[in-house]
Amino acid sequence: MNHVDIRELCVEYTKPKSEEMFTAVDRVSLAIPKGEFVTIVGPSGCGKSTLLLAVAGLIPVARGAALVDGRPVTGPGRDRAMVFQEPSLMPWRSVLGNVRFGLEMQRWSDGDLDTRALQFIDMVGLRDFADYHPHQLSGGMRQRVNIARALAVDPEVLLMDEPFGALDAQTREIMGNELLYIWERDRKTALFVTHDIEEAILLGDQVVVMGVNPGHIKEVLKIDLPRPRRPEIVDSEQFIHYRRTLRNHLADDLASMQLVRRDG
Amino acid sequence: MGLEATPASTRRAPRRRPGAPRSLVIASTAVLLFLLLWQAAPPLGLVNGNYTSQPTLIFLAAVEVFRGDQLGHHTWISFSEFFLGFALAFAVSIPLGLLLGVSRTARYLLDPPLMALYIAPSLILLPIMIIWLGIGIASKIAVVFLGVIFPIIVNTMAGMHEADANLVRAARSFGAGPVDIFLRILIPGALPSILLGIRLGVGRGVLGVVVGELYVSQAGLGYQMTTYGSSMRIDRLLVYVLIISFFGYALTSFVRWLEGRVRNWKPA
Amino acid sequence: MIARWFQRHQALILGTSSLIGIVGVWQALASLGVTNPFFVSSPALIADEFVVQLRNGTAAANLGASLYCFFLALGMATVVGVGLGLVSGWFRDFESALDPFIWFKYSAPTVAFYPLFIALLGYGAPTIIAIAFLFALTPIYANTLSGIKNVDRDLVRAAISFGARRIDVFFKVALPASVPIIVAGLRLGVGRALTGVVVAELFGATAGLGYSIAYYAQMFQTTPMMVSIVIVVLLGVILTQLLAFLEAKTDAWRREPTLR
Repeated sequence: MNHVDIRELCVEYTKPKSEEMFTAVDRVSLAIPKGEFVTIVGPSGCGKSTLLLAVAGLIPVARGAALVDGRPVTGPGRDRAMVFQEPSLMPWRSVLGNVRFGLEMQRWSDGDLDTRALQFIDMVGLRDFADYHPHQLSGGMRQRVNIARALAVDPEVLLMDEPFGALDAQTREIMGNELLYIWERDRKTALFVTHDIEEAILLGDQVVVMGVNPGHIKEVLKIDLPRPRRPEIVDSEQFIHYRRTLRNHLADDLASMQLVRRDG
Repeated sequence: MGLEATPASTRRAPRRRPGAPRSLVIASTAVLLFLLLWQAAPPLGLVNGNYTSQPTLIFLAAVEVFRGDQLGHHTWISFSEFFLGFALAFAVSIPLGLLLGVSRTARYLLDPPLMALYIAPSLILLPIMIIWLGIGIASKIAVVFLGVIFPIIVNTMAGMHEADANLVRAARSFGAGPVDIFLRILIPGALPSILLGIRLGVGRGVLGVVVGELYVSQAGLGYQMTTYGSSMRIDRLLVYVLIISFFGYALTSFVRWLEGRVRNWKPA
Repeated sequence: MIARWFQRHQALILGTSSLIGIVGVWQALASLGVTNPFFVSSPALIADEFVVQLRNGTAAANLGASLYCFFLALGMATVVGVGLGLVSGWFRDFESALDPFIWFKYSAPTVAFYPLFIALLGYGAPTIIAIAFLFALTPIYANTLSGIKNVDRDLVRAAISFGARRIDVFFKVALPASVPIIVAGLRLGVGRALTGVVVAELFGATAGLGYSIAYYAQMFQTTPMMVSIVIVVLLGVILTQLLAFLEAKTDAWRREPTLR
């Protein structure tokens, strides 16, 4: 049985002013085996974030279902944890307080919450900053806390919505490699949304390409690069081949977004 | 607040909104219930009708007031006091605020005394204004003036000070001189704060007119209020309260609308 | 070197010197006979009178009476304002029901109800407290309501994604997030409560700063009146500064990031 099974999932919104129904995600089906890292790419508006929110149980589903370990998703649960693009850290809590938060909400009772939280703070490399407050941290550090918070509740599935999207290119690269390293330890099933093709190939075992109008799956590309992935792998022939393939898949959608008229 | 985590498996059919929004219905019901309770309370012996009056009596009193109580005359007096005081204050405080707000030295010098005067209730000078300027409209104009200048100066200065440094730098890179920057960048950028100061000033101005007339006066809406108040004609008192509330509300709404127009072009 | 020190403490230096300057100019004008002390008094006369009032206990009596009403009114306004604000912010229906009354309270001149209060509560402290309570209530309620309503949606969503229930969101997210804006509302409430006390005292009291201002004004005794006025101004500044200080403490986590 697949760990995460998405069957003909449809998500619809009512457009605020006109009361029309707008289909954000249209009959998406995806099967994800346990321990697989799946990345999702696509242009703006293709519904990739919406898909993730549906699997997280944070938005209602019009038709179809998402199943985790055979159980249908009806709301947030202990088996899934989400890492948002905005760190969403409580500014009045320290790093420790923030990482503890998930544990507190889920009423963890075995052992000391602080000890467990510190474990994960250490894992993301912020051991010396446990008492700092979010406003004292850089963007990259805040995302590390965000990730630690999600890992601390020991979810079966990790859901990540463009977690490095707001960071500068260099930090993004560093965070990508760090994430790989951390992920290698437990190899949790993961769904990772990004707009960065290279990031998608580097991190993923499968890359799901989504298209717009309405949001649907265009293509699923299997990435056959060896694990553990080293940073140098981006220069390998295989990687370049995958990148070219993905760019082609995304070409039409990208072209439709261009505004400056080109001749010929 | 819409915070419930709606089950992902909910099938939701598109919902048509039936008629009036929920908030309006609830608000109207609450007001209606209140009026009913108010009307019924004195006969039921819950409160003393002499102190609280009743909606029906107030309505009747309103009719009387509008027909024959020299409402026009009193409104004109109060309005003049407000308008003259406000206009004078506006004419003084805006230029001062704009010019002083640009200079950092001026701000450092003037912030403490201005803030102290801004925080302190200007109405403490009401008795002395009465002594100096008499019980006529002059003293009320003075009180309104004093109440209005400080919010406007303080907020105008703050607005000039909070100019977006990026905008100023961009303007300079296109060769804008200090006057250009002053007129085209600083002042428009300060508009939201200036309007806020004006709105606060309006509030204080209305308070100044009302308190001034309640204290000592010969005419005006506040004068009528105090006359009816002392003679325990609560029904007429409340009619005047409603009239003043209406004007106060209309004025502040107007300024809020202006603020809304201006807020749209400020970056979030 | 001195120039550098001056630069850093510019605000403080200029601010203090301007206050001193104003007092100095005022005194100079009075001493030189440019202004008539009968109308505007002078710092020297005020200082003398202040000492006299301190000695004979007048200053303390007035200050005490006003502060008593002030603190009671502010306390009640805080409890009621924050309480109602929290409930309104959390339960939209409650807010809708309360809204028209808040509008009215915001627009209607509270002081106009003065005769009513006198009739119900008599002259003296209860009426003054009632009026100051109503004055201070508005900003405290408005800010509390706004704080709870406008909690960062991202934070709420993150909390829910970790399994937070509604009550968790209220106590662990909405409430802590609203503290700065509630305290800001309290700061505004302080100014309003002081205004309410003083204005109410102008109309009819037997003690208090507002009462003394009105009394001495009617007696044409400018100097004792100015003493009370100065006390009111100082009181306003001190109380507001105390709250601004509290605001800064609770707002500490909103400052700009220090690490890059």
